Amino acid sequence: MAEVHAEMVANVWKIVVSEGDVVDEGDTLVILESMKMEIPVLSEDPGTVTKIQVKEGDVVQEGDLIAVVE
Amino acid sequence: MTVLDSGTTADRGTTAARETAAATAEAAAIDSRDPLVRLGHLLDEGSIRRISPEDRSGVLAVTGRVDGVPVVAFCSDARIQGGAMGAEGCEHIVHAYDVAVRERVPVIGVWHCGGARLAEGVESLHAVGRVFAAMTKASGVVPQISVVVGPAAGGAAYGPALTDIVILADSGRIFVTGPDVVRSVTGEQIDMAALGGPEPHSKRSGVVHVVTKDEPEALLRARQLAGLLGHQGRMREVDEVDFSDVLPDNPRRAYDVHPLVKGLLDEPGVELQPKWAPNIVTTLGRLGGRTVGVIANNPMRLGGCLDSASAEKASRFVRMCDAFGVPLIVLVDVPGYLPGVGQEHDGVVRRGAKLLHAFAEASVPRVTLITRKAYGGAYIAMNSRSLGATRVFAWPTMEVAVMGAVAAVRIIKRREIAAVPEEERAALEARLAEEHEKAAGGLQRAIDLGVVDEVIEPAKTRGAIARVLAQATPARGAHGNIPL
Repeated sequence: MAEVHAEMVANVWKIVVSEGDVVDEGDTLVILESMKMEIPVLSEDPGTVTKIQVKEGDVVQEGDLIAVVE
Repeated sequence: MTVLDSGTTADRGTTAARETAAATAEAAAIDSRDPLVRLGHLLDEGSIRRISPEDRSGVLAVTGRVDGVPVVAFCSDARIQGGAMGAEGCEHIVHAYDVAVRERVPVIGVWHCGGARLAEGVESLHAVGRVFAAMTKASGVVPQISVVVGPAAGGAAYGPALTDIVILADSGRIFVTGPDVVRSVTGEQIDMAALGGPEPHSKRSGVVHVVTKDEPEALLRARQLAGLLGHQGRMREVDEVDFSDVLPDNPRRAYDVHPLVKGLLDEPGVELQPKWAPNIVTTLGRLGGRTVGVIANNPMRLGGCLDSASAEKASRFVRMCDAFGVPLIVLVDVPGYLPGVGQEHDGVVRRGAKLLHAFAEASVPRVTLITRKAYGGAYIAMNSRSLGATRVFAWPTMEVAVMGAVAAVRIIKRREIAAVPEEERAALEARLAEEHEKAAGGLQRAIDLGVVDEVIEPAKTRGAIARVLAQATPARGAHGNIPL
């Protein structure tokens, strides 16, 4: 199981995957917005998305849980 | 490292047991841990000359060639006390360094070593310390490459760590204290791979520069890097590659910078520390046949922001290239330094300062290309004119500023914006931002100030960079390469 955490303070701009989706290493899970930039959050491992902890419009802090890939 | 599980072997039955026995017999005939075998894979066929005698010291030192380039190499003898370092073996390594420095050739160390020899006590510690001193004295003088193919524990961990580039095979494990000691002192349960294998060292610690799937590939990478650093070549004419499609249409969108780095080089180079601080890319390769170092912000990771780890990674790379006279190409697309409590407390001020120091100190020719954004302190840090860039190019898409125009006017013009009704604010912000960009940022202003020398087309990039590097006076920094 791999937990994906926010690496910086950001707004959640777009949720790209849904719970249950199968993803590969490097696939975009969620796109954040910060520093005038769209910042993709990538899966570090192949697996199934079992949880998406955020919704569009949320503000995430550094270290917050974004998703779980198993 | 292979650990035979006798229970499993017995379960497999007699056929399997016979096969195992046959394999063992074969392995005994050609022991893959024999340093002569290992160095035979590393160096050109027939090029090996011993510079240490055949003995029980646990180290073999030789001279040889890598694609014709002379090098010095040494290798642990894992068949003797697990390759542990004693006074005699350390003496061979120090001697190998003397030869390398005298001949001005790269040194490659192949490590499979449990640490200092326990039986020799303080004598072996003293000897290991002398190896460290020899490595440090040679730092920045000759390129040093380490290949870790087995455990490199205790003192043997710091040997590779003092060198310029550390390559880790899948079987390699690097740690100061092993799992048993960790368990007895802190109670943490962890195995060798999770403590000091490819996963932690490629992603978390930054100890290792290149991870490979097996030992042969690790030795191959060492050959490639020794060639890049030991035989840098002369710049010749280059073909153009059109990079017009690299940037996304939307300036806020992230993209992977790797295709740009790859296209700039003649053939794929060797990316160092690809998974650690991936928001900056550091790659050694060739442009027009000449070795160059490429540093590039990667907007795909953390928006391409600089942070403490990426600044440190880039600083060490800049200083290594400078020490060996490898010209630098700096590809800039950076929205700033990463904001956050974690960053500040992680020492982004101290660690970020290393990058300013590394560039400002560098004597090697270094070209900057601003492809898109160059904001704030990160603009300065990415080999700006003020830090002494040889030449600063920009693509027509470039934007340089203290911060993004909208963010800037929200601060500078906050009273003016607050004075208008809420529904009109967005329009006013946009208009003020446009005015601000004309006055404070923008390409023309950067050219007028002389912080950008020339705007070049994406399709003319390789030639423009190659010409500057070919005409620049070759130089190298007179300093060591401390493992920042």
